[in-house]
Amino acid sequence: MARTAAPTRRATARRQPRPDRATAEVSRASRWTRYARVVFLIPAIAYVLFAFALPIVYNLILSFEQTSPATIASLFAPFAGLANYRTALLDPTTQSAIVRTFTFTAGSLFFQFVIGFGLALLFNLRFPLRRVARSLVIIPWLLPLLITGFIFRFLFQLEAGAVNEVLTDLHLISHPVGWLTSPGPAYATILIANIWIGIPFFTVLLYSALQDVPVELTEAAMIDGANAWQRLIRVTLPVIRPVIEVVFVLGFVFTVKVFDVVIGLTQGGPANSTQILAPWAYNLSFQQFEYGAGAALNTILLIIALLAAPVYIWLNRESLRRA
Amino acid sequence: MIRQHRYTAPLAALGALIALVVMLFPLYAVVIASFENNAQLLGNHYNFWPPTPSFSNYTAVISSQGGHIASTLIIGLGTALLTLAIALPAAHALSRYRFRVTVILIGGLLIAQILPSIVIANSLFILYHKLHLLNTYPGLILADASYTVPFAILVLRAFMLGLPGDVLQAARVDGASEWTTFLRVVLPMSRSAVITIAVFAFLQGWGDFIFALTLLSGNTFEPITLSIYSYIGEFQTNLGQAMALCVVGVLPAAMLLVAAQRYIAAGLTVGSVKG
Repeated sequence: MARTAAPTRRATARRQPRPDRATAEVSRASRWTRYARVVFLIPAIAYVLFAFALPIVYNLILSFEQTSPATIASLFAPFAGLANYRTALLDPTTQSAIVRTFTFTAGSLFFQFVIGFGLALLFNLRFPLRRVARSLVIIPWLLPLLITGFIFRFLFQLEAGAVNEVLTDLHLISHPVGWLTSPGPAYATILIANIWIGIPFFTVLLYSALQDVPVELTEAAMIDGANAWQRLIRVTLPVIRPVIEVVFVLGFVFTVKVFDVVIGLTQGGPANSTQILAPWAYNLSFQQFEYGAGAALNTILLIIALLAAPVYIWLNRESLRRA
Repeated sequence: MIRQHRYTAPLAALGALIALVVMLFPLYAVVIASFENNAQLLGNHYNFWPPTPSFSNYTAVISSQGGHIASTLIIGLGTALLTLAIALPAAHALSRYRFRVTVILIGGLLIAQILPSIVIANSLFILYHKLHLLNTYPGLILADASYTVPFAILVLRAFMLGLPGDVLQAARVDGASEWTTFLRVVLPMSRSAVITIAVFAFLQGWGDFIFALTLLSGNTFEPITLSIYSYIGEFQTNLGQAMALCVVGVLPAAMLLVAAQRYIAAGLTVGSVKG
């Protein structure tokens, strides 16, 4: 148990009741010890306030202010009402970025799930060197995202790009595709890069879920005459459904805020055809110096990301219940 | 384990091989590219093997980027240390005692995991301007820890909830203070979880781009992600060096995966959060 880096469901179930939970114990703790315990929490509370609560509140304030490069020197600027939201939302690039963020997220999650689940099923079979293969497949997940974007930029370049080379060799295309120079292919490129990055996450989590499917269940279904497909649909999928939910919620959260990959690959171009919310908010604030409009867009991004919050908290209800 | 058909294993191995080729090709490509010169990288066809392998990109990168690599190391290590310093005591207290703030804090950490970093970066830029934290290591490391602190507290707490209660009780009976129990009993027993968190926090600090881009102006120090970003502007001129720097950038992830594979695989499974 102490050897595993994280408690599995099985391990936590075996966990003994903590004596400190006994009411007698709690009431016996003197006021002094209770203060001493709070000290352990102070750095975390201070950090959450500083790094999360403060920026969110300040972003909200900023989004209602009339900012300009000159107002950056002072913390506060004149009240602007909804002007920033109007500016941001009336901009056609923002409108397309919002729509694109959703299609980008949906497209990424769909392919990440299909490919990731396929690989998880594959790794669940026995074959030589499966452990090595399983750990190698994790690598794309751990790379700095900007570097991944930059590497894909190199692979998808026009003349000496590996993708055009391979597709030409396979006679799938007759002329090199301008992946990064025309809008449609550029969008496909950021999507492909992001799917590539997310596959290991889906594979690892779904694989560990498959490992937890009780063998007796699949064996029983087999004895009852279920074929492999029926076992997958009727037994395996229902059993691992909780993990699938978690994976999709986390995948949504990761994907709506994608930033580095887009900057490394296309920087939102050509002609803003690959702008999604996070890079576009950055562009407004730091390249056009429209801090107010950038903050308004950030608030919209925040609201979209927080759509996942109720589900995410519900999925983590166990850890809150133990609180 | 269900019996497998006799062809299953070879077919699965073949499938895994194809998957690995696709998944690892970008890494192969960047390593190969780092041994080529600009003319070869920007010629009219792609080379699957360097025509004239050379280390010159690496010598150039080490002389021009050595300082940036050192800065990136400091940022990665700083992020790991700060994350552990904040998360370990909190996880310990949250796993042992019930506080009035427990539910709020854990709920807040779950929400904090969801927040997009660009939102935080946008605000911190102006706040840091006032606090004189722009272009400083402490400022950047404080921001980078936002990737890891919520995750670290939640994972470490879940791990510590699983520690045997009687050992902690024994320490208490022996008269150990809260602090001593934490340092002498809880920390050693949590070693594997601590390593996992440290590795992840290091990789997050090492690979951070958003906060480096927004909170540093590049005049004082810069991590290699920013250097690679500036290569994009001069894509045509220094692609070979950029590729060598990319290899340096992906090296820690690859090395740590080999060295701490057991911890990483386990750590990833707990619902890690990235980005």
